[in-house]
Amino acid sequence: MFFRIDPHNGVAIYDQIVRQVKFAVARGVIQTGELVPSVRELSRQIAVNPNTVARAYRDLQNDGVLAGVRGTGLEVTPEAARLCEAERSELIRQRLDSVLREALQSGLAPPVIRQMVNHSLQTLSQEPGEEL
Amino acid sequence: MKPVFALRNVTKKFGKQIAVHNLTLEAGPGQVIALLGDNGAGKTTAIKMLLGLLTPDSGTAEVLGMESRRQGQEIRRRIGYVPDKPALYEWMTVTEIGWFAAGFYPHGYLETYAEMVRSFGLPETKQIKHLSKGMQAKVSLALAMAHKPELLILDEPTSGLDAVVRREFLESMVDVAAEGRTVLLASHQIHEVERVADSVAILRQSDLLTFDRLEVLKNEVAELVLTHPTDEVFAFPFRDIQIASRHDGRQSVHLVRGLPPSQQAELENLHAVVHLQVRTPSLEEIFVGYMTGSIRRRDDAPVEPQAEITA
Repeated sequence: MFFRIDPHNGVAIYDQIVRQVKFAVARGVIQTGELVPSVRELSRQIAVNPNTVARAYRDLQNDGVLAGVRGTGLEVTPEAARLCEAERSELIRQRLDSVLREALQSGLAPPVIRQMVNHSLQTLSQEPGEEL
Repeated sequence: MKPVFALRNVTKKFGKQIAVHNLTLEAGPGQVIALLGDNGAGKTTAIKMLLGLLTPDSGTAEVLGMESRRQGQEIRRRIGYVPDKPALYEWMTVTEIGWFAAGFYPHGYLETYAEMVRSFGLPETKQIKHLSKGMQAKVSLALAMAHKPELLILDEPTSGLDAVVRREFLESMVDVAAEGRTVLLASHQIHEVERVADSVAILRQSDLLTFDRLEVLKNEVAELVLTHPTDEVFAFPFRDIQIASRHDGRQSVHLVRGLPPSQQAELENLHAVVHLQVRTPSLEEIFVGYMTGSIRRRDDAPVEPQAEITA
């Protein structure tokens, strides 16, 4: 799987890694029993501090998405797909909430916002998909 | 835990000019420490005191348990150092300068150097003077890392280099840290620092303004956007936590550190505040705030940021 890290997008880097792993599992890009890259490999690949990657992996282990395999690394657990699908909706809802909250605070009326959401959704769903 | 390097209450003057003022900074193994500051803030002076190339007027500098003042030569042999302007023998080829440097280091140096030369894609038989600036920088990095030093010091190593070379430097740094070794990086590339640093020290005009774990800094600093009923200048009530502020018409922006919810509520209830918005600033915004703000050194600045366990 490929990661895209943007240190400036307001989401902590470790959290961006956690999300992208979860979304990848939810979409079936990585599946039960498959190994994720080692801390060292991934930190080099995305040029991010290894402690940050290690922290993301710890969170993913605590959430039951990844589990250690003796001597080899971390693999995707059997429950991961179900967990991640549920979590994906929750994470996206939170992001949507924050955008909608901003829209309301800026003084836009709900019908106007709804129209904007519909319009964006229509435009975006016609574009080729891009990873978060 | 024994620090890999430590500066303790170090002051250095050049004539009447104070270059570094009462600086205390230290780091443990496996940490990436970034030094941020404007030009002339004292970053290079601090590094040179660690290396024993400059002697502090007061305070102590030590690296790997050795005192910089007396054991500078041994320190420079044990660590890796990439200066901002690498001084290389220009008439040597890439391979020759490796042979030359290998004489100063234990066995195994040349093999690692050759490996890095290959992975950096450097032309082995070309003379240094015929290499581009980016390639010269990579030679300097390979020379500094081929003995696998416990501490790698980089002084603005990538200024003026293209994005591809900067990325390679970044990957090398990450690799060093992943092996449990320590990196001290002076840089102006705040985006890069944000990716790789564990802790960040911000220096301004010889003073250390803050030294903290990056995540602590980012959690504690907030930007408040206040809207006021009139365009009178707003007197911000919590000056002790304010890093910087700007006013424009009926709005004011305050960069603050460690705002308790009680004070936030207090602000929201003021007559002079119609609306309060809290934003999370990027490291760049935090840095600019420290550079332009009214804050001077924090005398209670923590000496050592709390270390996190490495996996």
